[in-house]
Amino acid sequence: MSLSEQDEALIRAALEGSARAWERLVRRYEGRVYNFALRLSGNETEALDLMQEVFLGVFRNLHRFRGDSLFSTWLFRIAHNKAVDMNRRRSLLMPLSALGGAGQTEEEVLEHFHDEAHEQNPQALLDTEQRNAGIAQQLSRLSWEQRLVVELKVFQSCTFDEIAEMQDVSANTAKTRFYTAMKLLKTQMEQTHVV
Amino acid sequence: MSCNETAYIVAASIDESLPLAQRRQLDAHIASCAECRDAVADTRDGMAHLRQWREVAVPRWQRIPESLNDEGLREKLRRARPRFSFWTQWLPLATACMLAVAVVLNVQVQIGGDGMQLSFGGNSQAADISEQLARFEQAQRSAQEQALEQLVTQLEARQDSANLRLMETMLEQFGSSTARNMEQVLAYFEAQRQQDMQLLQSSYQRLADSDFQTIRSVQQLANYVQYQGGQLQ
Repeated sequence: MSLSEQDEALIRAALEGSARAWERLVRRYEGRVYNFALRLSGNETEALDLMQEVFLGVFRNLHRFRGDSLFSTWLFRIAHNKAVDMNRRRSLLMPLSALGGAGQTEEEVLEHFHDEAHEQNPQALLDTEQRNAGIAQQLSRLSWEQRLVVELKVFQSCTFDEIAEMQDVSANTAKTRFYTAMKLLKTQMEQTHVV
Repeated sequence: MSCNETAYIVAASIDESLPLAQRRQLDAHIASCAECRDAVADTRDGMAHLRQWREVAVPRWQRIPESLNDEGLREKLRRARPRFSFWTQWLPLATACMLAVAVVLNVQVQIGGDGMQLSFGGNSQAADISEQLARFEQAQRSAQEQALEQLVTQLEARQDSANLRLMETMLEQFGSSTARNMEQVLAYFEAQRQQDMQLLQSSYQRLADSDFQTIRSVQQLANYVQYQGGQLQ
């Protein structure tokens, strides 16, 4: 059974009233959605709130999913809209705090990346933490629209047509936004000697 | 020299589903355009850098909304499911659209003796209804008058023949009847005539009542149609 078939089976079961199927469906995507929210907001509390809003939106609209696209595409359309709403409401463009490592204890950092390799090598964990913080910092310097395009293209592998539809712009505008964003990122990377 | 296509070249270069022919054209352009070549390389570097992001574990959270226990979730999901078939869902919308079109085009439906007539536009619906009502009343009246006349004629003819038969029978039976007997016979005839007249009068009254009721019903119908016409306009 393919991933999309598994998704559809879980959706059907959830619509039949299976709380277990709903939970399994959430577990399949919560990591992607949480990291999506974390990169956009740069803040764990905001990211958790956004993830909860996204899954609440999915929950409320599950019966409307017709299977015309992949469930992940449909879910990230909701995630995109919720992120835009939340950005309007709470002004997500705030200085990064949680990801920078500042003010976090080592135990708190360890909670984020709890796999065996990291537990055995705290230095690798801190390197990863710093890398994530650097990426989030660079993304935070892009405009909100550019950040969303980069997020949807690089991390969610959406097509430009899908991004254009989500952002209600033409595909060419989405491509131009992406190109401009990547040029800005390149400049930032050069300034921070990443490349 | 600046290339106007760089943004689209960069976008195409990361499209893994690009058809082979377009991929060849793209490669040819990149090979001949330094600006696009650099931009594509920078974009790939940038994407590789961003993809170094390591997935952060999701903190503990309530996957099922707190307010919902299992039963609550089931109920909510059941309520959320569409309960009607595709056509039933669209039927109200289709009906609303048809009514809207009917109002916009001022569609008039007329049902008469010649069948149903559908007409579009026009602004004399009320006048048409009054005219039709008048025509209908006239037709009703003349039909009833004709029916009454026929009834009276038939009754008279039947009465005459009955009287004649009775007289003949009596004359045969009382061939040599006395003047007194004749008076009795005449009195009997007179009583019969009175009874017939009463019968005729009551029949006419019933017919007239029925006529009046029919006209009232038609008037009520016309008022309703006029009201509906006014609502649509």
